[in-house]
Amino acid sequence: MSAQKLERLLNLTALLLAARIPVTGERIQRELGYPEDQAAFRRAFERDKDELRSMGIPLRVERVPGRVPEVDGYRIPREEYALRDPGLSTDELAALHLAASAVQVEGMSPTAGLLKLGGLVPTAGGHEIGVRVANLPADPNLSVLFGAVSSRSRVRLTYHDRERELDPYRLEFQRGRWYLTGHDHSRDEERNFRLDRIEGPVVVLDGPSFEAPATATPGRARGPWALGGDPVINAKVRIDGPQARWAMQHLGPDSIVSVDGEDSVVVELPVTNRNAFRSFVLGFLEHAEVLEPPELRDEMVAWLEAMAG
Amino acid sequence: MTTKSPPARSPSAERLQRLLAMVPWIAAQDGPTLDEVSSRFDITPTQLAADLEVIWLVGLPPYTPDALVDVVQEGDRVWIHYAEVFESAHRLTPDQAVALLAAGASVLALPGADREGALATGVAKLAAVLGVDADQILDIDLGAAPPEILEVLRTGVAEHRQVRLDYYSYGRDSRTERDIDPHVIQAQDGSLYVVGHCHRAGDQRRFRVDRIASATLLDTTFAPPADEATEEVFAADDADPRVVLDLPPSARWVSEVHPVEAVEERPDGSTLVTLAIGAAPWLDRLLIGLGPEARIVDAPDDLAGSARRAAARILDRYR
Repeated sequence: MSAQKLERLLNLTALLLAARIPVTGERIQRELGYPEDQAAFRRAFERDKDELRSMGIPLRVERVPGRVPEVDGYRIPREEYALRDPGLSTDELAALHLAASAVQVEGMSPTAGLLKLGGLVPTAGGHEIGVRVANLPADPNLSVLFGAVSSRSRVRLTYHDRERELDPYRLEFQRGRWYLTGHDHSRDEERNFRLDRIEGPVVVLDGPSFEAPATATPGRARGPWALGGDPVINAKVRIDGPQARWAMQHLGPDSIVSVDGEDSVVVELPVTNRNAFRSFVLGFLEHAEVLEPPELRDEMVAWLEAMAG
Repeated sequence: MTTKSPPARSPSAERLQRLLAMVPWIAAQDGPTLDEVSSRFDITPTQLAADLEVIWLVGLPPYTPDALVDVVQEGDRVWIHYAEVFESAHRLTPDQAVALLAAGASVLALPGADREGALATGVAKLAAVLGVDADQILDIDLGAAPPEILEVLRTGVAEHRQVRLDYYSYGRDSRTERDIDPHVIQAQDGSLYVVGHCHRAGDQRRFRVDRIASATLLDTTFAPPADEATEEVFAADDADPRVVLDLPPSARWVSEVHPVEAVEERPDGSTLVTLAIGAAPWLDRLLIGLGPEARIVDAPDDLAGSARRAAARILDRYR
C-alpha cells in the first residue's frame, strides 16, 4: 500500500467514524481525493471498503435521511467500532503476551489483538511458563462459533449428515481437539460436537439471544467415553498396576469410588460412547477390569473371547 | 491433523491495523519515547518514522492544519494531540479474541498455574470488555500432570539441571528410572511432554509428564541445546520388527494416526499396512482394540500370537 493509499484509508475511517449521518459516495469522492472518473472512483472505493471490512470494521450502508430522491451513504457506528478499554496493567498485558507466545491457535496471530490492547510488552523478570510451544489446531468454524457462543446466538450446522439448530454454550479443547457443547434443538438435549466433524460452514441465525444454563463445573477433562450420543451408563472399572496412579490423577477425585493401596483403584465413568470406553479400558491391558454393570462386562468378555480365539 | 492456512493478510492491511492501534495509544500517553513505541508496536525506528509521517496527514475535512491530527516530536519523545476521532482502538475481531483468550485460558489451566496472578486478572478484564465469561464459554485442557512433577521439570528446564525420572513406558508396559537433561516442555494432542536427552537411551527422547511417577531435581547441570528440540513420539528404528496388517475399512484411521511405513488400499476398502513395532504391548493394544476383523498377515513368530495371548491374559481377570 502506498503511503497515499494508507493516508486515504485512515482519512476514510476518520470521516465515517465522525459522521453523525451517513456520508454520500459523492462527498467521499470529493473529500478524499479519489479519481474524478466515475468508474475509476467506484473501483478504488470498492477496494477500500473491502479492505476495511476484511479487518472487521463495521462499515454500514444506510439511507441518507431527508434526501429526495433516496440516496445511500456510509458510516462507521462508533459504538460498534470502539474497543472499550479493559484497563490492563502493564503486568497483565505482559502476561497475556507471554501466554500468547507459549500457546498459539494455528493461523490466528495474537499480535493484532495485543496491539489494540496496548502493544507487545515484555515480561519483567522473565517469568517462565515452562511450556514453550503448544499449537491449538485451527478450525474454519472456530471464530464464528466463538462469536456465537459470546453473543449467545443460535446457530445452524450440519453434523452426521443432519442439519441441526443449536444454542452453542461452550467451546472445549480436549485431547488435541476442539469440541462444541450446546443444546441441540433437533433432539432437545445437550450434546457435544467435534468441530472437525462439522460439515461445511456454521451459520449464525438472527433472533433473540438464548439464556445459557449455569453449567457443571468447567475445567474437568472429559474422556472420549463421555463424548458420545448413547444414553448414559455408569460403569465401574478397577485399574491396578503401574497406571493406577495415573488413572487417579487423570480421572479426578469425582470419579474415584475406592482406593485400595497405591496400586489399585476403582473408578466410575459415565459412558456415552461404548466403543471409546472399550478402547480406553483395553489400553490398560490386563491391568484393568470392567466390574459393573453386567451388560458392559459381558460385552467386554465377548469382545475378548473373539480376540483370544 | 490438517490445518488451514490463515486468510492472506497483506502487509499493507497490517500497517493500517497497526496505525489504528498506535494512534490511540500514543494519544493516551504523555510523550512516550520513540524506542518504547517501536518496541510495543513491533517495528523498527525507521518504520515508526514513516508511520508518523502518515499520521501527520490524517484528520477530518477540510483537512486544514487545525483539522488534522497533531504529531509533536521533541528529542526522543512523541505526542499526538487532536486525535479524538481515533480515541479508541478498534475492537477485537472474533479471531483476535479467540487467539488471546484461548492462550490465556490454556496457560491458566496448566497444572500449578497461578490462578490469581496478572494473567488471570488480565484475562478476566479482557473477557469483561468482550462481554463474555471466559470460564463459562472456554474450557481448554492441554494435558494433566501432577503440579509438583511439572514444577520440578520447569525448574530443570529453566536452570539447566538434570532430572531423575521414575517413568512408566506405556509402549513397553514397564517402569524404569532414568536421568534426563530436560530441554523443553511441550503440549500436544492432550498431553504434556518433556523433551530432552535421556542418559539411559543415550539419545533424545520425549516423556509424557502424566506417566512420570516421580521426578527429582539433580545438582548436575547440562549445556542447553542450540536449537529447541522437537521429537516424534515414536521414531522407527531400523532394527525394529515389521508387521503387515490386513485392516477392515472401519480401521482406516490407523494409517492416519500411526506412522505406517507402507499402505496398500484395496478395491473393497480394506488396507494392507506395514508398521515398525517398537514393543509388543503397543501392537497388542492396537489389535485388541481393533477386534478380530483386523488380521496379521506377516509378523515375526514372537509377535504373531502376542495379541491373542494378551487378550487371553485380560480374559483371565473376568473368570
